[in-house]
Amino acid sequence: MSDLIPLLTQQLFNGLSLGAIYALIAIGYTMVYGIIGMINFAHGEIYMIGAYVGLVTLSAIGVNSGLPLPLIILLMLLVAILVTAVYGFAVEKIAYAPLRGSPRLVPLISAIGMSIFLQNWVATGQGARDMAVPSLIGGSLELTLGGSGFTVTAPYSRIMIIVVTVLLMIGLSLFIKYSRTGQASRACSQDLHMANLLGIDTNRIISFTFVIGAMLAAVGGVLIALAIGKLNPFIGFIAGIKAFTAAVLGGIGSIPGAMLGGVLLGLAETFAAAFISSQYKDIVAFLLLVFILLFRPTGLLGKPEVEKV
Amino acid sequence: MNLKKRVTPLMLAIGAMTLAVGAQADTLKIGIPQPMTGPATQYGDQIQAGALTAIDALNASGGIKGMKIEPLLIDDGCEPKQAVPAANRVINSGAKFAVAHACSGTTVPAVNVYEQEGIVAITPGATSPLVTDTIKPHFFFRTIGRDDQQGPFAADYIAKQLKPSKVAILHDKQTYGSGVATQVQTALQKNGVNVAMFEGINVGDSDYSAVISKLKALGPDLIYFGGYHAELGLLLRQAREQGLDTQFMGPEGVANKDLVAIAGPAVDKLLVTLPADFTKMKGNEQILENFKKYKRSPDGAFTMTAYAAVQILADSIEAVGADPAKVADHMHANSFNTAIGKVDYDAKGDLKHFEFAVFRWDGQGNMTQIQP
Repeated sequence: MSDLIPLLTQQLFNGLSLGAIYALIAIGYTMVYGIIGMINFAHGEIYMIGAYVGLVTLSAIGVNSGLPLPLIILLMLLVAILVTAVYGFAVEKIAYAPLRGSPRLVPLISAIGMSIFLQNWVATGQGARDMAVPSLIGGSLELTLGGSGFTVTAPYSRIMIIVVTVLLMIGLSLFIKYSRTGQASRACSQDLHMANLLGIDTNRIISFTFVIGAMLAAVGGVLIALAIGKLNPFIGFIAGIKAFTAAVLGGIGSIPGAMLGGVLLGLAETFAAAFISSQYKDIVAFLLLVFILLFRPTGLLGKPEVEKV
Repeated sequence: MNLKKRVTPLMLAIGAMTLAVGAQADTLKIGIPQPMTGPATQYGDQIQAGALTAIDALNASGGIKGMKIEPLLIDDGCEPKQAVPAANRVINSGAKFAVAHACSGTTVPAVNVYEQEGIVAITPGATSPLVTDTIKPHFFFRTIGRDDQQGPFAADYIAKQLKPSKVAILHDKQTYGSGVATQVQTALQKNGVNVAMFEGINVGDSDYSAVISKLKALGPDLIYFGGYHAELGLLLRQAREQGLDTQFMGPEGVANKDLVAIAGPAVDKLLVTLPADFTKMKGNEQILENFKKYKRSPDGAFTMTAYAAVQILADSIEAVGADPAKVADHMHANSFNTAIGKVDYDAKGDLKHFEFAVFRWDGQGNMTQIQP
């Protein structure tokens, strides 16, 4: 079949752009888990809020305001990042900080509560109906491979998601590796109590983690809103579950693992939909997750958990 | 001492309520449970517009047998889990009649409640065969066709007018969407049309590009989607993004103005099967006047069907009185002249005839009836 190569390329691109989205959100789960060992189920909602703030900013500027397009998108991103950073910070201070040191299930329930609260908070403020996001970035890159009839199409909005995700991942990795705050957060992730004893302000590092996670989710929210064009207050739930899966797949607590997990999950879903049936794509993707966890219980890049005494 | 002080006003209140109930003998309550929140709100708005206009018009001409009609608006959110509570609220409010539910998902569980309690209810929107096929109700009716009337109608149009060589069918795996998609598939295959793909997609997903690429490689002449507007909007938008220009077609669930907001100009040329445009039907001039008089819009797939539901209830109550059992018998035995034309019921409350039509959208979401 002469169309196979271009079709494969197309699906590879589809999978990568989906995976990039999962990866951006998965970082937030994995960083929080890495440091305080809890799963922040409200993280999907933070992503949803980022998308909404982006849309509200866009409506405030106006699509036909005459401002250059990159500036509009930059403004949307900036406002979304700022507002969601505040949300991320506030969620941690209100719902999790008072519960630190309590049994593990307690902050988990608090996180689920926060998630439901945020969904309904936005549903009340913005309405529960689907909202449409005008497509700012039109057009796509077209590629004809091997003289067949099938044209590989890569919309610019999706290319942007992949590019921005890769840049952010590189930036974040460098930041965690070399900056003072990054080093402190790695110390906290190894042993929170010990880091505290050595004079690291652990509360500040935890807040920082939530803020960084929220900022990345906001970027994801805005970019996806632009690429997909539809928003409702409940998009955070499914996106959150998928991203959480990606984080577990890659090894929860590991940042490169979240990236790898996101891309793998995106590719698995896409190829299952493409070559088996879209009906079964979740079944295939989650079977894959089960198998990987059977053989590597800590995920692909996760370190075996050392019991901290 | 204190207790007595509190009890006396309470007694008075109860007394007043009893009196109020007595005084209500000359009002007739009609429950109208439908979505007032959530993504299907627009269908609820249409039902309200139709039912309330019919009620206002009846009340203005003296009500039914001297009784004024009191509409009770109840929200079911188009959510199956809210359906039974909504139906119970109709019953607890003392209403014996209802214009009930827009969505098949809410109607299917609610039918049992109306049937058991002997409430005469008419749905102006639920098209799933399951509504009437499962319990074959005596008290429940429709003023809209069934999916197995709509599916074959759509398939007939596809086979006879569009004559595609290859058709792909997608659906949303839900009661309504997969139901109508299956109907279309069966009818198309009966007509000898090649259905090359039949697949479900997930509701709530935001990225369907994998399926779109697959469709692009398959190259069908027509893509039929069974489901609602939110998913079709994304499918259309992502199809055009990938340069897939194939014609799409869908049932009435996709015909929502929000589709234009989501899909943008990609809605151009979309085909939709809907109840025929009853606002253009002969004999409905007076009804359109009523809509103008009460400042409501007669547009929308379920507005005239809701109007007709109230007309049928009113005619029957006029004929046999406000006893639900007699009204149900009367409805099964007689035919009615309504906003949607002549209505006849079979033994389980389905319409014997219902007129569907094919509409084509332009890039702004304006519809024109092209068949029949």
